[in-house]
Amino acid sequence: MRTKRRLALLAVLVGLSGIGAAGSAQAQEARLEGRVPEPARGEIDAVLAAARDAGIPTEPLVDRALEGASKGADGQRIVAAVRRLDLELRSSRDALGLQSTDAEVVAGASALRAGAQPGDLTELRKSRGEQPLTVAAAVLADLVAVGVPVDTAVAAVLALAEGVDDTEYIAFRQNVERDIALGASPVSALGVRLDAAAEFAAGDQADRSPPQRPRKP
Amino acid sequence: MGIGDVKGESDGALVVRVLDGDTDAFAGLVARYRDRLGRYAVRMLGNTADAEEALQDAFVRAYRSLARCSDPERFGAWLFGILVNRCRTVGGQRAKRQRLVSPDEPALARASVPHSEDREALREAIEWAVAQLSPSNREAFLLKHVEELSYDEMTELTGASVSALKMRVARAREELRRLLTEAESV
Amino acid sequence: MFERDEKLDRGVELLKEPVHLDPGFDRRVMAEIASAPRPRAWVRPIWAGIEWMRRGRPVTVSPLGGLAMAAGVAAVLLLGRSWLAPGETAPATATTAAPGSVVQFVIVAPAASTVSLVGDFNDWMNGATPMERVAGNGVWSVTVPLEPGRYRYAYLVDGTTWLSDPSAPPALDDEFGRPGSVVTIGEL
Repeated sequence: MRTKRRLALLAVLVGLSGIGAAGSAQAQEARLEGRVPEPARGEIDAVLAAARDAGIPTEPLVDRALEGASKGADGQRIVAAVRRLDLELRSSRDALGLQSTDAEVVAGASALRAGAQPGDLTELRKSRGEQPLTVAAAVLADLVAVGVPVDTAVAAVLALAEGVDDTEYIAFRQNVERDIALGASPVSALGVRLDAAAEFAAGDQADRSPPQRPRKP
Repeated sequence: MGIGDVKGESDGALVVRVLDGDTDAFAGLVARYRDRLGRYAVRMLGNTADAEEALQDAFVRAYRSLARCSDPERFGAWLFGILVNRCRTVGGQRAKRQRLVSPDEPALARASVPHSEDREALREAIEWAVAQLSPSNREAFLLKHVEELSYDEMTELTGASVSALKMRVARAREELRRLLTEAESV
Repeated sequence: MFERDEKLDRGVELLKEPVHLDPGFDRRVMAEIASAPRPRAWVRPIWAGIEWMRRGRPVTVSPLGGLAMAAGVAAVLLLGRSWLAPGETAPATATTAAPGSVVQFVIVAPAASTVSLVGDFNDWMNGATPMERVAGNGVWSVTVPLEPGRYRYAYLVDGTTWLSDPSAPPALDDEFGRPGSVVTIGEL
């Protein structure tokens, strides 16, 4: 019995000190101290270390662990939540491309959680060009959260992708939410606002070229 | 109207000129930040070719999204953020290529660094040691000790929390100390 | 130990030495830029009667969106860096793009003794952001500066009961058995 414990302890120490390949040992995320119990904490640190090495943003993972701790969830439930989010972040990053910012990767993961497909994110990237995808992806997730079926939400966000900018996306989402709150069905609310947005975007195109000032001689 | 006209003009003034249509004014910003940011890129990526690629990419992206720079007087810092991100991408690609390298690197490095207090030897040793750090630790170490940013500034650039950054810097220092000792004990 | 640190410090001094890039670098950058589309200046759209702020100012999305519209109050809080109390000066750091936005969180909880706002932005520390009673009709409020991003949050009443924000999108698929909400701050 004692030997087993010693071996287990040794295994933990070896794991933590990273004996073997050259490279930094697994760092511990200080904020989990005292909030997430072992062995969950060790498992989460491992997920964080792997994410860090892969260039996956770790803040959302830490936040999710802290959320679980705050809400009194048990260790294994917290680990499961963190692992699930890690997979979504990786999938989002793969779909959106390595050059994506952390904010984009995180928003993309929310969209995937809402039920969008990785291919939808790739499409969104193509349509938005140089503009960051953070708000577009977040709006997609939010629309699903208020009851719009995911396919409809994806279609709407993609339809707007080329014409509107971030503030317009947010306004669009607010309008849809308000209509739903006032009793419209999610799909019809979306339909009405989508038409209005598309019309507006078309009209706005004409104003988009920057004012050309004469160059000084 | 050329680069000579931009001496003494603030970042904000140059940005406004570019947005007004004077593309040449951007050259002033390139000249102003090239070497300083180039230093970070070279230290982070370990070679000049990759560094120039990342830096050029950063400048071009900055130009394209210049209208989104919400505080033109702080153009340099905004640009630095773009560069930090670019280096992560370029670094990631390079790491994939390098995974095929033999794990005997430490032995090779030891052999090539003469046992001497000579400046050049130390330079080779420190450059090699920095290259051994994991990318996120290296990034944090360079931003803190070479670029001399505050932790708050580093949080803005990297998106990591202050505590995570402090941990990375501490890890980097430990690792560098260990590697520097290793490098000299042939 | 002292020796090793000295070595590291000397090494760092070497790393700080300037680096010289290929002299053709500037030319290459400008050549690539010449073929890029001109960065377009910000155009201010008018959307559904709400006027948005000019370039360089952040847009704030209040989760109060739906509720406020129904009450006839302006739905969007258009605040810049004005969350500093008179006499305070801005911290001398802040190196990147979008400055923070200020968001007001509101919840109606007439029977509560304490209400706290807990979320991603305060590391889910249950006591970090206490809310204040506004007037006498059970409305609680707090104002928080937030950088652009997407934040999960919830309200904790009397340290025991979790409430989501009725006027904000629900947090998708809450996996901890408690309700929650999401707020998104746009980035310009």
